[in-house]
Amino acid sequence: MTDPSALTAEAIAAIGKARTATELERVEVEYLGRKSGRVSKLLEGIGALNPEERAALGKAVNEAKRTIEEALSARRSQLEASRLADLAETEAIDVTFPGPPLERGHIHVLTQVRRQIETILESLGYQVELGPEVETEWFNFEALNITAGHPAREMWDSFYFSPELLLRAHTSPVQIHAMLRIKEPPIYIITPGRCYRRDAPEATRLPYFSQVEGLAVDRGLTFGDLKGTLLYMIQSLYGRERRVRVRPSFFPFTEPSFEFDVSCGICGGMGCKSCRHKGWLEVGGCGMVHPQVLRNGGIDPTQWNGYAWGFGIERMAMLKHDVDDMRLFYESDLRFLEQF
Amino acid sequence: MRISYEWLGDFLDLEGVTPKDAADVLTRLGVEVESLTMVDLSQIVIGKVLEQKPHPKSRNPLWIHQVDLGDHVQQIIAGAPNAVPGSLVPVALPGTTVPNGKVVKDMNIAGFKASGMLCSADELMLGEDHSGILILDRGKPGDPLTSIIPSQAIMEAEVTSNRPDCMGHLGVARELAAGLDRPMKRDFMPAFTGTADPPGRDLVKVTIDDPDLCSRYIGGVVKGVRVGPSPDWMQRRLRACGVRPINNIVDITNYVLFEYAQPLHAFDLARLSGPAIHVRRAREKEKLLSLDGVVRDLTPDMLVIADALRPVAIAGVIGGEETAVTTATTDILLESANFSGPSVRQTSRALGLRTEASARFERALPPELALAGARRAASLIAELAGGTVHREWADIYPRPQQPVRVNLRPALIDDVLGTHVPLEEAESILKRLNFHVKVMGDGEWDVLPPVFRLDVTIPEDLVEEVGRVYGYDRVPATLPGRRHERWTPATPSLDRRLDAVRDVLAGAGFTETWNPALVSGRKLEALRIAAHAMRVSNPLSDDMDTLRTSLLPSLIEAMALNRDRGRPDIRIHEIAEAYLARVGEHNSAQPEEPLRLAAVASAGETADEGRDAVYRLKAVLDGCIAAMTAPPCIYDRASTELFHPGRCAAVMLDGRQLGYIGELHPTVAAGAGIDGRVVAFEIDVEPVVAASRIPRAQPLPRFPGVQRDLAAIVEDTVAAGVLHAAIKELAGDLLEHVHAFDEYRGAQVPEGHKSIAFTLTFRSPERTLTDAEVDKVMAEIKLGLEKRHRARFRE
Repeated sequence: MTDPSALTAEAIAAIGKARTATELERVEVEYLGRKSGRVSKLLEGIGALNPEERAALGKAVNEAKRTIEEALSARRSQLEASRLADLAETEAIDVTFPGPPLERGHIHVLTQVRRQIETILESLGYQVELGPEVETEWFNFEALNITAGHPAREMWDSFYFSPELLLRAHTSPVQIHAMLRIKEPPIYIITPGRCYRRDAPEATRLPYFSQVEGLAVDRGLTFGDLKGTLLYMIQSLYGRERRVRVRPSFFPFTEPSFEFDVSCGICGGMGCKSCRHKGWLEVGGCGMVHPQVLRNGGIDPTQWNGYAWGFGIERMAMLKHDVDDMRLFYESDLRFLEQF
Repeated sequence: MRISYEWLGDFLDLEGVTPKDAADVLTRLGVEVESLTMVDLSQIVIGKVLEQKPHPKSRNPLWIHQVDLGDHVQQIIAGAPNAVPGSLVPVALPGTTVPNGKVVKDMNIAGFKASGMLCSADELMLGEDHSGILILDRGKPGDPLTSIIPSQAIMEAEVTSNRPDCMGHLGVARELAAGLDRPMKRDFMPAFTGTADPPGRDLVKVTIDDPDLCSRYIGGVVKGVRVGPSPDWMQRRLRACGVRPINNIVDITNYVLFEYAQPLHAFDLARLSGPAIHVRRAREKEKLLSLDGVVRDLTPDMLVIADALRPVAIAGVIGGEETAVTTATTDILLESANFSGPSVRQTSRALGLRTEASARFERALPPELALAGARRAASLIAELAGGTVHREWADIYPRPQQPVRVNLRPALIDDVLGTHVPLEEAESILKRLNFHVKVMGDGEWDVLPPVFRLDVTIPEDLVEEVGRVYGYDRVPATLPGRRHERWTPATPSLDRRLDAVRDVLAGAGFTETWNPALVSGRKLEALRIAAHAMRVSNPLSDDMDTLRTSLLPSLIEAMALNRDRGRPDIRIHEIAEAYLARVGEHNSAQPEEPLRLAAVASAGETADEGRDAVYRLKAVLDGCIAAMTAPPCIYDRASTELFHPGRCAAVMLDGRQLGYIGELHPTVAAGAGIDGRVVAFEIDVEPVVAASRIPRAQPLPRFPGVQRDLAAIVEDTVAAGVLHAAIKELAGDLLEHVHAFDEYRGAQVPEGHKSIAFTLTFRSPERTLTDAEVDKVMAEIKLGLEKRHRARFRE
């Protein structure tokens, strides 16, 4: 019959020799296994002993168990510490090896730009209004003060379905729909959407394109407010160093009317190849809403006034991302779309 | 329009104002100068050809000239033969750069020294003519060319459609003078100098038969003119405007057009029959040989100028060849008229002929301009072509231009601009622009615009006049803001709500596309989805003649394009409107414009790959619907155009059909040139948005769930969806979730059967379920499936 203290000494020696967690586990099973562990076996034949001997043996075996368990636990901590200390060598990987490509899809650059524009203008309190793309002649032209035979009609050569029905040439008709629906100002809206003009496709012009127009109708609005709104929008989109230039122009639905330009981002307005030495890049048109247009929208121009502006989303995206051919947006070539 | 800087100098003092300065001022005033071309002639000298001999050795014909340059004679070789002895010519000496960019060097051509170059008009950028050396009509040998021809600066400007008066140099100069605050040297209305008898109106009888299309017709008579070339300064200015000089009479009419913006026409009086002029609509089948040598078919909606027999000009567009001024002409009828803008535009479009004249009439010219133009042309003709101008011309003016007065409350200027413009400055600006301002007792201004400004009719127009000269850049930028008592609560836009869908699709590898809404109607017909198509009546081409009724053809084409460019595996989507004509109202009523979401994905080659791809795409669509926080949709076997007859499902949400999902019909893919399989879906988006609900938090489960798998062997015709519904019904409340995860045919499954494996999760909100409880429910499910669907079970 083995002596518990000798067995303990033997176990502690074995624990000391264990080099890995697996070896240590093997030692644990050998000595402390519930049925066949050697410490448990010390109790075989205990039934033959008298009560004093029985108690003494029980105590000695428990003592041995406890000592061995402590030694195991200490050795386990020791081994874990040295395993962690060695991780840099034992589990090193080649971190320069690339991961498998993530097959992520891309959100269209025009959606991204439209999203930015909506977010910027929503932060000024404008809300999105939508309207039909197939419009009536009245909403597309007449209501906007572009009467039949008006020389400015040349600017909006349109696709017709019938003499009364056409593809909208701009999103301006949505302004009329919105005024008629909302009825009482203040009105602060933006109207993103697709438009159509009968222009042969080329690098800077397409028969289909997307516009955002903004309309504010309130009391006492000024040209200065329009200018500030444009500047806020442009600087939010392109950076605070950008400037806006407003030039007189002509649209039948605004008076006064303007075109607005942004200072060239490459030369800062000094003139360079990219802005064709003008220092400015054309963005869109704007103006104070013509009193007749307010009347056509059911709004009394003696009580309220307004300003409006519009531009192409493609144009904004071209300026922001240096895209030189508008057709790329609508060709669905993944080599282009995946750049954004 | 092209603007010659030199010409502007006729009307105002340009001392200290460079062409670039002038261009900047004009752009700020609203005449947008898009480009400025400088032609520097300061390095070119005048030479006189003393001798001209053919080059004896050169293979190409070349001419050796001895040219007198004042202080010495230089030998210069040229290819053109027209610099005959005695000619005055422009010479570029070695070391100089001619305006078109050519650098001149000393050369030796086949043994003969050549020092310098004789210049053509083209090389000096004084015209397009490069056929010969430019021959000068005056000048002193050795003097700089600028002693007779100033350096040129040509501006290409865009004139807005409301300002026809700026389609001439006089109008542009007036803008510039107002902008620079310099006086104009010349009045708008020239004096009339005709004195000869008899009165012009007795020589040519003018009748306007259609006064709705012609508000004024002036017919002036000048007799005894000598037709010949016009002076070189006039030719140069016409060339600068892009017009070829013809003869002095024609050149003068063109010159006045570019000066006053008033188109004019000169008829050879002797070649007119009558002579009587009728301004009338063309008659059926009338024709006219126009000045460009084309026989024009006229229609009754076109206005013509006719003599007693026939049309002799198309009003406002082009004159006739048979009555044109020639070198034999001595007596002329000078027309200066005012034709209706819309009528001229319509005629010009119908003829496919846009002329300098039609471009001006289209914009509605003021009738007063006709008189100014006629007087200016008459005095130029008298001066440059001789002849006597007859007094009292025919001037038929059925609808005289009415003066428009505008009442302006001067405070409106500050109110609209948002800055303070001193009243004196505002008044001064209006006066510089030739407006008459009368301050009324109540402080309002009674403003009379000049006769050449038909565009100013309301007070806001006057604000614009003041603002643009005052300088919009001087107005501080502000943001609007005042206390509002009404507002509209913020709502996210439809497109921003759909960003959730774009994000899911991007995560699943689908790239968003934007495709044109105008497609080929023929292709929609071939795909048999043209029943509700709206057709454009004036398409640019038959590739874009119809509004698409589905996004799928565009996506399929995009897929084919990318495959052609080397992408085998493609996943793309689009969110956009489809356009569906309302039944029975094609092209007469606005169509429905449902917003659609559509996606296509490559799906391998084999039937199994196709099936798996359909299931994967369903998971993507489920993800999109879930991202919109709408209830899940269900799928019912269906068939429709574009889709595979055995692999298509209707997508149902709350009992409403949203669209279809499945594999594309093999002929559709093949028709687009795609050789593999393609899976796709297209759904209406608005019902999904409408069904969107704010997610409500559910308490987390407090007791563990129990998972069991169930593999049911059923006949091929039994759909997984049917078994799924049956399991849910049979299981009762304890079933938390059931999901089909495998479909199997083969060993251990009889022919004509399949095995579908489900994972079931059971849970009670009140207690931990025992195995016995779950076993009991599983037994009921199996029994039910056996009875209803003759299912058997694999262990």
